[in-house]
Amino acid sequence: MTAAIRVEDVKKNFKVYHDKGYSLKEKLLFWHRNDYETRWVLQGVSFSVAKGEAIGLIGKNGCGKSTMLKLLSRIMYPDFGKIKIDGRVASLIELGAGFHPDMSGMENIYINASIFGLTRKEIKSKIDEIVSFSELEDYIDNPVRTYSSGMYMRLAFAVAINVRADILLVDEILAVGDLKFQEKCYKKLRDIKQNGTTIVIVSHDLGQVESICDRSIWIKDGLVYKEGRPKEVHPLYVNEMLE
Amino acid sequence: MELIVTLLRELYQYREMIRSLVHRDLRGRYKGSMLGFLWTFINPLMQLVVYTVVFSNIMRMGIEDYYLFLFVALIPWMFFSTSITNGSSCIWANQNLVTKIYFPREVLPLSVVTANFINMLYCLIIVIAVVLLMGKPINYEAWLYLPLVFGIEYILTLGFTLIFSACMVYLRDLEHILGIVAMAWQFLCPIMYPVSMVPDYFFPYYNFNPMTPIIIAIRDILYDGCVPDVITLGMAATYGVVFLLIGIVSFGKLKKGFAEEL
Repeated sequence: MTAAIRVEDVKKNFKVYHDKGYSLKEKLLFWHRNDYETRWVLQGVSFSVAKGEAIGLIGKNGCGKSTMLKLLSRIMYPDFGKIKIDGRVASLIELGAGFHPDMSGMENIYINASIFGLTRKEIKSKIDEIVSFSELEDYIDNPVRTYSSGMYMRLAFAVAINVRADILLVDEILAVGDLKFQEKCYKKLRDIKQNGTTIVIVSHDLGQVESICDRSIWIKDGLVYKEGRPKEVHPLYVNEMLE
Repeated sequence: MELIVTLLRELYQYREMIRSLVHRDLRGRYKGSMLGFLWTFINPLMQLVVYTVVFSNIMRMGIEDYYLFLFVALIPWMFFSTSITNGSSCIWANQNLVTKIYFPREVLPLSVVTANFINMLYCLIIVIAVVLLMGKPINYEAWLYLPLVFGIEYILTLGFTLIFSACMVYLRDLEHILGIVAMAWQFLCPIMYPVSMVPDYFFPYYNFNPMTPIIIAIRDILYDGCVPDVITLGMAATYGVVFLLIGIVSFGKLKKGFAEEL
C-alpha cells in the first residue's frame, strides 16, 4: 500500500527566549536579551501512514504531538528530517480562525472556506451541506458575534469538515456542541474514513482514538515510544500515566 | 523553476481567497465614510487641484502643464509606495491566520498589491480624462504600451512587497524605516523634475533606481505622447523580473519561520 504521509527522522526545536527584543533598538542595545535555550521538542520521529488509514497520536502534555500536527499541516517546518505528503491536506486544528464577527454566518462560510483553498464553485456546491450540518439554518444570516460559543464552533466545524481532502488532521476538537452534535461529528469522521481519506488525530480521549483509528502512535520525550493497535497500546499508556 | 510552477498552481487553487481579500480591502477602505467609494476619485482630483494652484502660480518650474507632468508620474508612484509601506505589514497583521491555518503565504502580499493596483487603475481614469480634456497630443500607438508598462510595475511592486513583508516579520522596525525610505525614494525618481535635470556625474547611479524607467515610460506615453524607447522598456522589464524572482525566492525561504517568529 502506498503511503499518504511519510515522516522521516523529523527533529524540531524551539528557541525559548528569556526576554526577547523585537525592535532594532532592543536587538542592538540589549543583545544579551537574545539569549535563548534550545528546546528539542521532536528528536527524530519517523512513521508513515498508509492511504485510507486512521492513526491517533497520543502522549502526555508537551510531548510534541501538537507540534507534529503543525508540521504535517505545514504551518511550521522541521529543522531536520523530511515530511512527505501525498494529497490535499485539510486540518481541524484551529477552528474558526479568520472568522469576522461583524459578518453573517453565510459570509463567514465563504471566507473561511476560501482560506481552506476552496474555489467559489466548490463552496457553492457545498453550501447547503455546510449549513445543514451546522444546524444553524435560522441564524445563518445573523452576524457571527451574536452566536453562542457552541454555535460558533458548530459553524466552524461544519466548514472545516466539508473541505474535501485526501488527508484530514484533527486536533482535540471533538468536544464541539452537545452530545448529539458530537455523535454527528464522529459519524461524519467515520464516513470520511470510509471514503478513503487518511486521518491523523491528536487526542487525550483514548475512547475517541479507539473508535476511529486503526493504529496508535505513542510519542514520549520527542520520540516514537510505541505504536500498534489502539487496544494494545492504550493499556500500557494508561498504566504509565497512573504510575 | 519547478518551485515557481508549484507556487502558481497553488495560488490558482486559492484564487477565491485572493479574490475575497482584494474585494474586502477595496470595499473596506472607505467603509463608514459618507462619500464611500467616491473618495477613490476625490483624492487624486483634490491633489490635482492643489498641484495646479501651487505649481502654476507659486513654484513655477518652467515646464508646460507642470501639474499634468507631475500628476501622470505621481499616480503610479503612489501605487508603488503605498504597496511597499502598507503591504510590508500584511503578514504581521494577519498573524492570527498565519499561525493557525495553512495557506500559501504569498496570498497576503499578492492581495494587498492587487487591491492597490485596482485602486490605481481607478485613479488612472481621472488621469486619462484630464489628458484628453487638456488637448495634449494623443498617440494611440504609444497608449498600446500602457498595459505593458503597468504590468511591469505590478510585478516590480509585488517583488518588493514580498521582500519587505517577509522581513517585517523578523524586524518590526522595518515599518518605520520604510516610511523614510519611501520618502527619499520618491525624490530619487524623476517625479517632480524631468530626468534631464539630473547631472551627468550622478546619472550612472540614478539608473540603479528600478522605478526610474517605469516613471519615464509612463510620462513618455501620457504626457509627451510618444512611444517609450526600447532601452527604457528593456530596463524596466529586467528590473521587474529580477526583483520579482528575488522576492519569490527570499519570501519562500523566510516564510518557513513565520509561525514561530510571530
